[in-house]
Amino acid sequence: MIQFTKVSKTYDTGTDALHNVTLKIDKGEFVFVVGHSGAGKSTLIKLLLREIAPTKGIVKVNGYNLSTMKRRQIPGFRRTIGVVFQDFRLIPTMTVFENVAFALQVTGVSSKYIRRRVPYILDLLGLAGKARCYPQEISGGEQQRVALARALVNNPSLIIADEPTGNIDPELSYEIVDLLNEINKCGTTVVMVTHAQELVEQFDHRVIMLEKGRVVADYPAGGGY
Amino acid sequence: MTLSSFGYLLKEGGRNIKANRQMSVASIGVLVACMLLIGAAVLFSMNVNSIMGYIEAMNEMVVFVQDDADQATIDALGQSLKSDRNISSVTYTSKEDALKEQMNIMEDAADLLEGLQGDENPLPASYSIQLKDLELLDETVARINNMPGVNYAVAPTDVAATLVDVKKGVSTAGFLIVAILGMVSVIIVSNTIKVTVFNRRKEISIMKYVGATDTFIRIPFLVEGMIIGLVSALLAFGLLWAGYDYVLRWLGETGSSWLQMAYANLIPFDSIGLRLLGGFTAAGVSFGVLGSLFFLGRYLKV
Repeated sequence: MIQFTKVSKTYDTGTDALHNVTLKIDKGEFVFVVGHSGAGKSTLIKLLLREIAPTKGIVKVNGYNLSTMKRRQIPGFRRTIGVVFQDFRLIPTMTVFENVAFALQVTGVSSKYIRRRVPYILDLLGLAGKARCYPQEISGGEQQRVALARALVNNPSLIIADEPTGNIDPELSYEIVDLLNEINKCGTTVVMVTHAQELVEQFDHRVIMLEKGRVVADYPAGGGY
Repeated sequence: MTLSSFGYLLKEGGRNIKANRQMSVASIGVLVACMLLIGAAVLFSMNVNSIMGYIEAMNEMVVFVQDDADQATIDALGQSLKSDRNISSVTYTSKEDALKEQMNIMEDAADLLEGLQGDENPLPASYSIQLKDLELLDETVARINNMPGVNYAVAPTDVAATLVDVKKGVSTAGFLIVAILGMVSVIIVSNTIKVTVFNRRKEISIMKYVGATDTFIRIPFLVEGMIIGLVSALLAFGLLWAGYDYVLRWLGETGSSWLQMAYANLIPFDSIGLRLLGGFTAAGVSFGVLGSLFFLGRYLKV
């Protein structure tokens, strides 16, 4: 599913963000990626989304080789993954429904399917009553659930969550991770980057620890993190 | 791309205009202002040119025929003048006509000329001609002087030179004003587009994250640019029409004979309106389209 082989990333500014990272995440896994600021978590996410290409090494995600990928292949690749950000990244001029529908529109499916699929996903995430609201009219927790709905609506085999609980109340944070947990139980691979130690401890999943651009620890699920 | 997503993208373009109301209104305002300025400058210089053309046309020159020329030579001269490339009209005045004209002018003293009829008539026959292009006056006069039967040609060389200078000045000034306004408009409009795109860079990057292709992101912007360009063109056209009409009416009602003369030679809006509308529409739409193609590029590299 995800395979990093001796991946290094040095930015144009000279920052050595990732150094010789090798790791493998299998289909159906739930993985927390932890580490201090500057440990290389953001770079890891950017590599996974093919926002940037590695300086050295090979990144493979969902069967795509991101190191050799052409620019025009990127949209197709991104449709196979769902992504959730710390700042939600909802489009403020679109309603909740439109924000979720948008991710389907780009794939070119029929509007009939969209009209069926979007309410189903919104309902699943407890957002049925908010379809006509604009993002700024609902709470942070709800906004993140909308973002999650958008990530899920395409039925991706991989969900990438970049600090999804960073901007919401602690009690709602648990709810979000629990949702990811449920999604994972249905077979979707989840990679979640987080600062929130207590959340990592509450869920028994594999934990990869980054420090100064290297993998310094990799605790398997139930492996004593 | 399927038909349904194309329809969606068209709708998106329209929705974006509404969703970004303030920016849309600002863009339309800027475009309309630029088009009005340019349109007014074009109309002004076209009209000045038309008036100058009228003044030019009034400028006659006279070719006096040699007194001893026989009728065949006179007719041949008339033909040569008519076929000259720079002469637009030729009117013949015979010796007798010239005398009658003179007698009309003198009115009461006409009797004095009574005795000069027939062979005694001292007045020469002449051709009054109007030139197509005053700028070529000198070479035309030279050509006429070489024609058989010509005594001499009287040309208002100084007046012609002044007129030619004024006309050239007006054309150059008009062209310069339109060119400068055009350049300023390009800068203002492209900045407006840049701001619009910049304001929505986040939206664009989100679209990229969910797997939208560049084309998918561009089309709504394109549609938006086209609609804004079109609306601006129509607005500018309407305003210019109303303004022009108002000025024409004012000139028509004014008492000054100078202005009346000018009024008679103004170009009616109907005869240039369509061209103006076409120009506005083309400019507006191509700005919208090129702007969204050009300035969107850098934000698509996510």
